[in-house]
Amino acid sequence: MTMKLTRRLMLGAAMAMGLAGAASAAFPERQITLVIPFAAGGSTDVVGRIVAERMGKALGQQIVVQNVGGAGGSLGAQQVAKADADGYTILMGTVATHALNPLILKQKPYDPVADFAPVSLLVLVPNVLAVNPELPVNSVQELIDLAKKEDLSFASSGNGTPLHLSGALFNSMAGTEIAHIPYKGSGPALTDVLGNQVPIIFDNLPSASGHITSGKLKALGVTTKERAPSFPDVPAIAETLPGYETYSWNALFAPAGTPPEAIAALNKAALEAMADPEVAKRMGEFSATIVASSPDDLGKHVATEMAKWEPVVKAANVSLD
Amino acid sequence: MDLLNNLALGFSVASSLANMAFCLIGVILGTLIGVLPGIGATATIAMLLPITFQLEPVSSLIMLAGIYYGAQYGGSTTAILINMPGESSSAVTAIDGYQMARKGRAGTALATAAIGSFFAGTVATFLVAIFAPPLTTIALKFGAAEYFSLMVMGLVMSVALAHGSVLKALAMVVLGLLLGLVGTDIYTGAPRFTLGITQYADGLNFVALAVGVFGIAEILRNLEDEHDREVMTKNINRLFPTREELRQMVGPVLRGTAVGSVLGILPGGGAILASFASYTVEKKISKHPEEFGKGALAGVAGPESANNAGAQTSFIPLLTLGIPANPVMALMIGAMIIQGIVPGPNVVTEQPALFWGIIASMWIGNLMLVVLNLPLIGLWVKLLTVPYYILFPIIMAMCSIGVYSVASNTFDLYAVAFFGLLGYLMSKLRCEPAPLLLGFVLGPLLEENLRRAMILSRGDPTTFITRPISATLLLLTAAVLVLVFLPQIRKRRDEVFTESDA
Amino acid sequence: MSAKPKDRTDIATGLLLMAAAVFFGWQTMGLEIGTSLRMGPGYFPMVLSGLLFLLGLLVFLKAFGREDEPFGKVAWRGMAFILPAPVFFGLTVRGLGFVPALFLAALIAAQASTRLKPLHGLVLAVIVTIASTLIFSYGLGLPFRRFGPWLQF
Repeated sequence: MTMKLTRRLMLGAAMAMGLAGAASAAFPERQITLVIPFAAGGSTDVVGRIVAERMGKALGQQIVVQNVGGAGGSLGAQQVAKADADGYTILMGTVATHALNPLILKQKPYDPVADFAPVSLLVLVPNVLAVNPELPVNSVQELIDLAKKEDLSFASSGNGTPLHLSGALFNSMAGTEIAHIPYKGSGPALTDVLGNQVPIIFDNLPSASGHITSGKLKALGVTTKERAPSFPDVPAIAETLPGYETYSWNALFAPAGTPPEAIAALNKAALEAMADPEVAKRMGEFSATIVASSPDDLGKHVATEMAKWEPVVKAANVSLD
Repeated sequence: MDLLNNLALGFSVASSLANMAFCLIGVILGTLIGVLPGIGATATIAMLLPITFQLEPVSSLIMLAGIYYGAQYGGSTTAILINMPGESSSAVTAIDGYQMARKGRAGTALATAAIGSFFAGTVATFLVAIFAPPLTTIALKFGAAEYFSLMVMGLVMSVALAHGSVLKALAMVVLGLLLGLVGTDIYTGAPRFTLGITQYADGLNFVALAVGVFGIAEILRNLEDEHDREVMTKNINRLFPTREELRQMVGPVLRGTAVGSVLGILPGGGAILASFASYTVEKKISKHPEEFGKGALAGVAGPESANNAGAQTSFIPLLTLGIPANPVMALMIGAMIIQGIVPGPNVVTEQPALFWGIIASMWIGNLMLVVLNLPLIGLWVKLLTVPYYILFPIIMAMCSIGVYSVASNTFDLYAVAFFGLLGYLMSKLRCEPAPLLLGFVLGPLLEENLRRAMILSRGDPTTFITRPISATLLLLTAAVLVLVFLPQIRKRRDEVFTESDA
Repeated sequence: MSAKPKDRTDIATGLLLMAAAVFFGWQTMGLEIGTSLRMGPGYFPMVLSGLLFLLGLLVFLKAFGREDEPFGKVAWRGMAFILPAPVFFGLTVRGLGFVPALFLAALIAAQASTRLKPLHGLVLAVIVTIASTLIFSYGLGLPFRRFGPWLQF
């Protein structure tokens, strides 16, 4: 409590100083670039574009989206880490850029904590464990039992992605050895599970939801601690494997050293955007849970996530150069 | 009749004044941006995507689809006029289309491309409308083993792309395969051939490769001897094909449409094989295979039709499964989600107006393109009268923007320069770029599916012959192999007796 | 001996292909090869490198006993100015910004031809820059900074 208060006071002082220093230059005075570290059309891109549009309105300046895909999000994150710390270049960070990649990559292109100033944790997105309907299982427990008798494999959107690690965590907690089959992205992985080339998939709930409602995929469990509001009938994996929890998340980051008043303005705009009923509706359709946190809470969240994933990454023995 | 009702619904949606207007805008924007050298359909859509976000879902997708075909038309135009393909599909068109342009038949080549594309687009649209759901079922039967066998067939066919030495063509395919492997191994995450540059972790950019080995190499060839360069501009008074040429087009267009429609349905990369496969077929059954690579009409008509048919039928997995077959489709899925539509099998039943509206607009868009492009041919051909030394600084500027706009990766620009040098070196050494390009496209798919098939079969290599579709494809491959190499061997034997081959 | 016909172009091609194969093979060394049944990341590249070497060798051997074809002129000036243009654009587009980077890239490329007088090259580069900025930056709203941090004081 006192910490928060001191911080607020400091923030206020900094703001006053900033105002005194450049009375005419209220942030933002020109357009802001939001770097999305993945290709256009993916779930992070979609969240980013919806939020950017609404935040731009709140700030009175356009936010331009720039997709800098590559190396599992590392290239885009690296670009923002090295950008001018003026608040005009910000990053749509994810569980991949700010928890997994730093743990997995042998060469660290950036430091997720030291190189960034947190702005706001926007949304949490559940993942889902789903199977082709021809696989004769109807629950997580039945899947575990079958996996102990037969050789099974699961598809994911790629090596070292949150979905791969969701599967790895599942294996280590359930004591199963379901083989991992990586794909280049969620689309081809889904295709092969729909065609029953591979029986099991871990996928983002938004990308799989259409197939679950149509019955082409059987959802066994969501990876969040609680059931997802959009699929109340699908149990949480944690109901069978207590303590199991993974999810993807999207959060805004600025380069470290960005002036506090710019962070405050961005945070305020982000909160305003996430409070918009239209944005909330879109996020709901997307099965994403809105968090809209303070910068401090995002900082803590990153620390928690890294602590949580470290043993999983070690256990799954994933490392990339 | 369900189908008629559905189509009627579709046309009523697509022919509303607003949607027609958006389709037209999409088609025009797509053509204009796509015609810029080095900018293909993916770059065009990436640039124009934000424009569509403000629209109604149906209008937005209709416009995006329009941009997609427009960019493909535009890309073929640049491939024919200046040998600068912006996508893998137009790389095949560049082989004979550019040679036709050099011989003063640019108008004929462009008209052939437009007519072939329109016919293929029409047929494929009806295929999508009638057979989408059953075709999807077939597509889902393709697993890793089947895709591997399909890619092997594609590789064998690629040899037919060459008109010079078969040996060198094979070497180019293998070199292309190796270049295609640059990047992160998807199974272990190990970086391969990246020389420690993280910017190449996702592989080399296809546009950079195509622009380099085709376009820039061609610019350099033109700069070799400026006092003595051939003038491309003579003899272009005739823009439209003669009756005789139209007659020659019929066969290639029909065959190309069939090949493209079949391959386009497969979401795992069938469409990219379409134009290559069609070229092989045409060259194989032509009475004058020696004309291929030197400006054969069938070498433009077939692949262009196949390409457009494939582009159209690749909407099938997108619409019925909500699964993108290529990066452009992935962008469209993103657009759907932004518009609040959950892509998936339910789109057909829950959003019939959207589904059938898009299908109907495909045909309308193709019609608009042909109406738009035929008169433009005169203008494009005039472009060739612009002196080359004025054209190429413009080309270099556009290439730089186009390549950079795909992923804002400056290393892609360095790759353009490298591949320009490689392409020029290859042309000096009489090696052809098309097999290299096909190898580059197929390399990752080949390895990915081979290894996936082996993991899925638990290390049992018989999986390729025990799965019926895969076995059939391998048998076909063997047949193609015999067809391609038997005449070569026979010819070589004859040559041994007459004279050493030059 | 020199009277024996040989195709110098193909000799060079064969040697270069073999060199490329050696380069790729050497780069594969650090990768795990695995077995045919359980392929590692190095398996496929190793097989391909071997194949490329073999093909290069065949091209090389077949070059002997065959007439050479004229090699033609080499576009030294073209290479000296065309190839650096995209590289220069890449090096400066973030620092200088889109407009100056594009202008300089077009200006460099324009030097490749002896037929284009320097002044005309300059005019051409200005026109290309203005048109591209209008189309891509203003028209399509591509997220490039028009003038980069190196130009701001």
